Amino acid sequence: MLLGLLVGAPVILAGAVRLFAATNRLPVINGAGLSGPTLFGILIWLLFVRFIVPVLGVFYGTALIADEVDDKTVTYLFTRPVRRASILLGKYFAYLACVVLLVLPSVVLVYFLVVPIGGSVGQSFPSLAADLGMLAIGLAAYGAVFAFVGARLKRPLIVGLVFAFGWESTVLLIPGYLKRLSVAYYLQALVPHAMPQDSTLNVLLQAFQDQPSVPASLIYLSVIIGAALWLAGRAVEGREYVLEQ
Amino acid sequence: MTVRTRYFVIVSLLVIVVGLGTGLVAYYVGFPTSAFFSRGGPEELRYLPGSASVIAYADVREVMASELRQRFRKSLAPDAQENGQREFRNLTGINIETDIERVVACFDSTVDGSTPGAGLVLARGTFDEGKIEALMREHGARVESYKNKRLIVGDHFIPPLPGIQNNDANDPTLKPQLVPPQNSNSFSLAFIETGLVALGSNGLVQHAIDLHAGGGGSAATNEELVSQIRTLEGGNVWAVGRMDVLRARAKLPDIVANQLPPITWFSVRGRIDGGLQAVLSAEASDDESAKNLRDVVRGFLALAKLQTSSKPEFQRFVQSLELSGTGRTVSLAVEVPSQVFDALGAIASPPRPRPQP
Repeated sequence: MLLGLLVGAPVILAGAVRLFAATNRLPVINGAGLSGPTLFGILIWLLFVRFIVPVLGVFYGTALIADEVDDKTVTYLFTRPVRRASILLGKYFAYLACVVLLVLPSVVLVYFLVVPIGGSVGQSFPSLAADLGMLAIGLAAYGAVFAFVGARLKRPLIVGLVFAFGWESTVLLIPGYLKRLSVAYYLQALVPHAMPQDSTLNVLLQAFQDQPSVPASLIYLSVIIGAALWLAGRAVEGREYVLEQ
Repeated sequence: MTVRTRYFVIVSLLVIVVGLGTGLVAYYVGFPTSAFFSRGGPEELRYLPGSASVIAYADVREVMASELRQRFRKSLAPDAQENGQREFRNLTGINIETDIERVVACFDSTVDGSTPGAGLVLARGTFDEGKIEALMREHGARVESYKNKRLIVGDHFIPPLPGIQNNDANDPTLKPQLVPPQNSNSFSLAFIETGLVALGSNGLVQHAIDLHAGGGGSAATNEELVSQIRTLEGGNVWAVGRMDVLRARAKLPDIVANQLPPITWFSVRGRIDGGLQAVLSAEASDDESAKNLRDVVRGFLALAKLQTSSKPEFQRFVQSLELSGTGRTVSLAVEVPSQVFDALGAIASPPRPRPQP
């Protein structure tokens, strides 16, 4: 149900926008008109990057180990003659495959519904390809971080939600080096979508002007994924999971 | 893996692959959204030179049948319009309302520096070839043959305009004027194929005949131009051109040229039906120039809104102006409802004097 809502809602919203645009002109924000590619960028940023990807990471990343503990099936998993870290890694890649196959088709459908409104499917194709790559990397990064949270902490869901919607949102607005301790800081640098000039949203995005380069972001995200998975592996290897009776 | 999971994986992968494949094809080849634009513009582009600086198009039939045009016809001197059209039909055999389907025109400024730019107009429709040829021969044109096509050439010739009675020998100002021989581009007319007439400078008309006979590089094979034209889909009148080429051709003084914004492509797309909806677009040479241009336009819009604050009939027009664009593109959309034209017409037409009792 949650998955259906998360990936279906953007498609339904895009379809509604397309129907609206067929009969009316798209709204103007502070004198700047919206076009399909701009709207696509807004949907990617506000819906997918800021909400859907973190939510999927929180719920399914923390559930990799935490759900096994809650269901009291972790014993059967760890008695296998397989290293615990390998089990975690296998579950992580299964999570990654599932969420990628859920989110990316949704993005593709949204693209073909929204971009033709005052835009060109062909001209905007590079941004689609970049967005798909960015979302896949985001799902991997958030999944790895929350896999570690799930493996290490007792109440991983609460901590994960606080991190995803508290820390990630707040730290980007604080000037200084704190924003470098977030995943969104590096993720947003991968695809800085062009926004309508002088729009209200653009004013908000002025806070994101200090962005690392694309290669630096890719390196940092790779380090985050690798470090989080290594720490998660170490956590499951060394920790004794006491099942509540 | 269960059957359900397998289907889910297959469908997801299919959507991603088909979507990316379609996008890739659209990126490299172009994505036709209508049969008319499947080639990237009207088919007459095949007969225009690939070096054309400006290309314009008008769906004459659609414009003539539009509600706005009909309102103009009824409100602005209908009798004079009827007389003019009748006279034009008598001279040329062409009924402007119904015989001309569409017109494509170009201006090629890339001739050598000693001669001015050349123009060409291609009109598709129903024409009385014999009558048009006879009219031109009557006014001094001669007929030549060029690649099995009849080329009607008028050296130093301006065709007569409707309303001019050429048999009025007493008024020399009404006779066809002779063009002083400083323009070496003669005016020519040729029927390239049934229903397609080309008129303009001799060189371009001959080039159009060459393209019709043997193909070759034309505006239709200029990918950059065609990609610009594809963005104009939906309009029944449009124009697109290279501002930088025109500017270089104009040889403006540096002090003037430096003041002009660094625009490469410009385009205008209009839709005439019950009113007029138009979008003016310009592509700057870089993002910074586009941003500065948007700032300038925004300033003018604010000034316009200030000036029309006390004129409600123009307020709606000014309020319909929308500035948009991202990256290197600056676009200004405008919607002129028919009421604005009524207001303009009321201003232009003097009030009829009341009959005295």
